[in-house]
Amino acid sequence: MRIGALWNKLAEPKNIPRLFAFSLGIILVIGLIVPMALNPDQLYVRPAPQEQIDDGLAIAPYDRGGEVLTQPGSIHPQYPENAASLGMITGYMSPLAQFVSSISPYFGTSIYSSPGGLIDEILYYTRGFDTILESSILMMSFVIASWLSINYTMDRKNDKKEIKEDVKKAISESRKVANEVKANDEKARAKQLRRDN
Amino acid sequence: MDFVTLGGNLLGVIPLGDIVLYLTPFNLFLFAVLLGFTLLIALSKPETQVEATMHYLYNTEVKVGPKELKQRRFLSIICGIASAGAMITGDLFNFTLFMALVGILNIGIVSAVKQTSVLNSAFNYGLIAMMCSLPLFGGAAIILAATGTLSLAVLSQMPASPMVVFGAVLMLIGILGESGVAPFFASKAEMFRTAGSPYIVIIHLSSLFIIVRAVEILLLVLW
Repeated sequence: MRIGALWNKLAEPKNIPRLFAFSLGIILVIGLIVPMALNPDQLYVRPAPQEQIDDGLAIAPYDRGGEVLTQPGSIHPQYPENAASLGMITGYMSPLAQFVSSISPYFGTSIYSSPGGLIDEILYYTRGFDTILESSILMMSFVIASWLSINYTMDRKNDKKEIKEDVKKAISESRKVANEVKANDEKARAKQLRRDN
Repeated sequence: MDFVTLGGNLLGVIPLGDIVLYLTPFNLFLFAVLLGFTLLIALSKPETQVEATMHYLYNTEVKVGPKELKQRRFLSIICGIASAGAMITGDLFNFTLFMALVGILNIGIVSAVKQTSVLNSAFNYGLIAMMCSLPLFGGAAIILAATGTLSLAVLSQMPASPMVVFGAVLMLIGILGESGVAPFFASKAEMFRTAGSPYIVIIHLSSLFIIVRAVEILLLVLW
């Protein structure tokens, strides 16, 4: 294939998502051979898998210790000096959560039942700016979606100008087709005549 | 590579918990230019286009209506502020979030238009922007898993392992797709072919600035 034809294909908006998906797929496949290992020295550290379950803690594997408002739990932020009272509500659990954790050893295995304070501290204290941005992304998509649903920019049913143009286009196209058919007809007839003679 | 080598002396920081915004002359310059441009957009009137018609003796005027103007101006101002924020952020995940916000606002600015070809290319760009969230956030997550941190100041002091390089490549393809660099330019270039110039130009400008900032961030992470 000539390179000009390739460039022309790249200029078609329809082909771009396919090309992007293809190149992304290639990079992800290459990623399979890259050596991957979790660095144990993580922010917001958590204990090794199964360690707390073997110890028989009630809210394993998310027990981070700490007492509400008296003793901070174990969280390692990047900049401790920016979050002076971090960890103070890590151990907080609602009365219902305390009750469930007292009768079941599986309470901590789902993220929404992990000690409530921890997620709040990361979402609204150390990484609060990220949470603001995430919700503003959501808000902007709602703004766009509500504009589109109210004004419905893709609607062409009642657009008189559009209908007029479409009719014009359809007429000229059908005329073109009719002319082509006529020309082909004559050609075929001439051929037949020649053959007969 | 160090902050000081790339951006000049550190003038100060804005600490927001673990997310620390850095003020170096380089980043501050980009930030100020974008904010100034956003101010110009907020004050200026949109341009009108005249389309010539083939075979017939009339021209069509493509105007931005008052309702459409309000929506597009609002989204462009937010887009300018978001890209200005991406210029001074000092956190990898924060940067990808700003990038995703700019991507969705770019679609929003052209989605208020009534031209079918523009809407069609905006739809195709939207597909790319949706796909981009995987490499963008995935790349940041892989770098976090490999190094244990997201702060650019700490990342710039760390040596790059193969896993970090792979995460950076993933992020790069996400940024390339989201900002419409060649060879993924066609759908984004078609989006510009409509009236309402200053609002259209912010799409262009935000991706331009974000590419510059992304190069700086990749240098910080990899060197």
